[in-house]
Amino acid sequence: MSKRRTEEELKAELVAAFPELEGKVRVARERRVWVEVELASFRKIFERAVKELGFSILCIITGLDEGENLGFIYHIADQGGTMLNIHTLAPKADPSIRTISDIFPAGHIYERELIDLFGAKVSGLAPGNRYPLPDGWPEGQYPLRKDFNPAVLDAGGEGA
Amino acid sequence: MKLSERLVNWARIKSPWAIHFNTGSCNACDIEIVAAITPRFDLERFGIQVKGAPRHADLLLCSGPVTRQIETRLKRIHDQMAEPKFVAAVGSCACTGGVFRGCYNVKGGIDQAIPVSIYIPGCPVRPEAIIDGVAKMLKTLEESQKGKK
Amino acid sequence: MATTRIPIGPQHPALKEPESFLITLNGERITDVAMRLGYNHRGIEKAAENRTYVQDIYLIERVCGICSHSHSSAFIQCVEEIAGLEVPLRAKYLRVLIGELERVHSHLLWLGVAGHEIGFDTLLMYSWRDREVVMDILAMLTGNRVHYAMNTLGGVKRDVTEEQAREILKAVDTLEERTKYYIDVATHETTLIQRLSGPGFISKDDVLKYGVVGPTGRASGVGRDARKDDPYAAYPELDFNVVTDDHCDVYGRTLVRVGELMESYKLIRQVLKKLPAGDIAVKSPRRIPAGEAVSRYEAPRGEDVHYVRANGTDKPERVRVRAPTMANLQAVAKMLEDNNLADVPIVIAAIDPCFSCTDRMVHIDRIDRGPSSESFEWGALRRKGIEWYSANGVDFTELNKRFEVRG
Repeated sequence: MSKRRTEEELKAELVAAFPELEGKVRVARERRVWVEVELASFRKIFERAVKELGFSILCIITGLDEGENLGFIYHIADQGGTMLNIHTLAPKADPSIRTISDIFPAGHIYERELIDLFGAKVSGLAPGNRYPLPDGWPEGQYPLRKDFNPAVLDAGGEGA
Repeated sequence: MKLSERLVNWARIKSPWAIHFNTGSCNACDIEIVAAITPRFDLERFGIQVKGAPRHADLLLCSGPVTRQIETRLKRIHDQMAEPKFVAAVGSCACTGGVFRGCYNVKGGIDQAIPVSIYIPGCPVRPEAIIDGVAKMLKTLEESQKGKK
Repeated sequence: MATTRIPIGPQHPALKEPESFLITLNGERITDVAMRLGYNHRGIEKAAENRTYVQDIYLIERVCGICSHSHSSAFIQCVEEIAGLEVPLRAKYLRVLIGELERVHSHLLWLGVAGHEIGFDTLLMYSWRDREVVMDILAMLTGNRVHYAMNTLGGVKRDVTEEQAREILKAVDTLEERTKYYIDVATHETTLIQRLSGPGFISKDDVLKYGVVGPTGRASGVGRDARKDDPYAAYPELDFNVVTDDHCDVYGRTLVRVGELMESYKLIRQVLKKLPAGDIAVKSPRRIPAGEAVSRYEAPRGEDVHYVRANGTDKPERVRVRAPTMANLQAVAKMLEDNNLADVPIVIAAIDPCFSCTDRMVHIDRIDRGPSSESFEWGALRRKGIEWYSANGVDFTELNKRFEVRG
């Protein structure tokens, strides 16, 4: 059985492969590494982590309202229990990201949550039902954005 | 004859049918409703059977807060039931929305959508409380039947 | 052959509204399953931002009425990590105690539900009777049968006395004896083995591809368990096995769950034996400094993932919850591929889904006969499954009469 790669080793590997990550990789504790990534570089770093660095498990995708931007954290893990949490931003003015469901088929459901709850635009998703909001939910109202006001739901009549 | 015995006898003759509908609960109350049917608690000794078709039901056992997407369906199920019909709000969420009161997708308790005959609080509601609540409701059913004669 | 599409959803057959599962049949074989979820969407993540961390413990517990301790622990672990709190070892052991008791009650619940779905109702009565032993213990320790509110920020709220520990050990001895009967039935009763073998097949590769977690994944030989892979609470100091099986079907899932019951009894005994002296909580600030953390917890159904971001106030900036059922639902279509309609209830039940099954309605629309339709509710689909298997030689009438769990 090979020795488990340490978090510092992982950090070094990431920076060696992607020099722009210098200063952007943080080891929080054992089994937890966080990295800040520019949206334009996200895909290649994500693919590298999954296909070559052993992060074969997608735990969850978290959306965040970060003021002018929407934040996206992709929480992936390797078989040894180390989690790599990749955080990227897209401007609210154009919150477009590309799907990762080609790599993780089950990931589409988390991306649909980002669309319904944050108003993200996810390109490349296979056609499918929305999740989790009902039909008839008012257009342009994203409940997990900080400026969402639930009063709009009562204004135009009931949801479904 | 004690009240509980009279109720048991009456229920065995009348055999009220209950249906159970979950409007968005965490399932704790749903499981306690089923537990009420198991031997330790034994709701069925009251002669109550839990069925699936609203048309034939006397009693609607509702668990969960009313979420926006379930509201219309809840109303329709209630409409399908023939009079006299009774609605039990089982658990704190069904009574008032419980811990989910104020959540954007929750309108509140069952009474936001349909009239409630009895509120049985608890988080989750204990099986004994369900039986107690249902027994009280049966008494009302019995009295309402008498009133019609 | 004729194609039929069957919606299964939380609505009355007469209402033609969005369903939870839309199943396409070719004759009697399933060729496709489409899902529409969300009817249980309450808006918990948003609500969590408007409540304090302590209030959120009570909210997050109620994501699920079966794994409530799992959710509250996963959540509080994130907050404690952000705040840099050193949770006392005794508290970590007590969290494991409640967590394993929760696993026991959940698996016994599942055993009953599975029995009910296939017509083995005696199993439901016995396993739920046994489950009451656990519910009594949990009520004794925490004051409630479900939603124990055991966790607090920095530890746990209640301690265990010597007398309570003795009660727990007695209960575990009883349950272990009874579980041995279930294992005996699961490994020797041909009716049960026949009924459960085959349906819901998912290969090891597909488990990895779709990210299936918990007993469902372990039944296909994938030994993923957060208690071993990403240990938390007192698990690093405890000795137990991750139960796996290679059947890859509903039968495998049954074997894994009864096997896990035995491991849980082992863990509970260890916890009580090794329980260290000390405090049960450390003082915690109300305001949590800015930061973020993610935690993984092995709930009875599988890996539960929580993420919390703090902003220096007494309320979280963001709380994110991924319950295990969400991961496993994605693979249901795969599991139902090529199965019979009669297998639908048990296959869905076998992932141990976190939504109530009692009010599902099924609507059958026979496309080849034009728009005329038949209506079924879940109970009728279950009965249809039981009848179909009876007609094919797999009948539980005799086993129901004969099955008895003493002790």
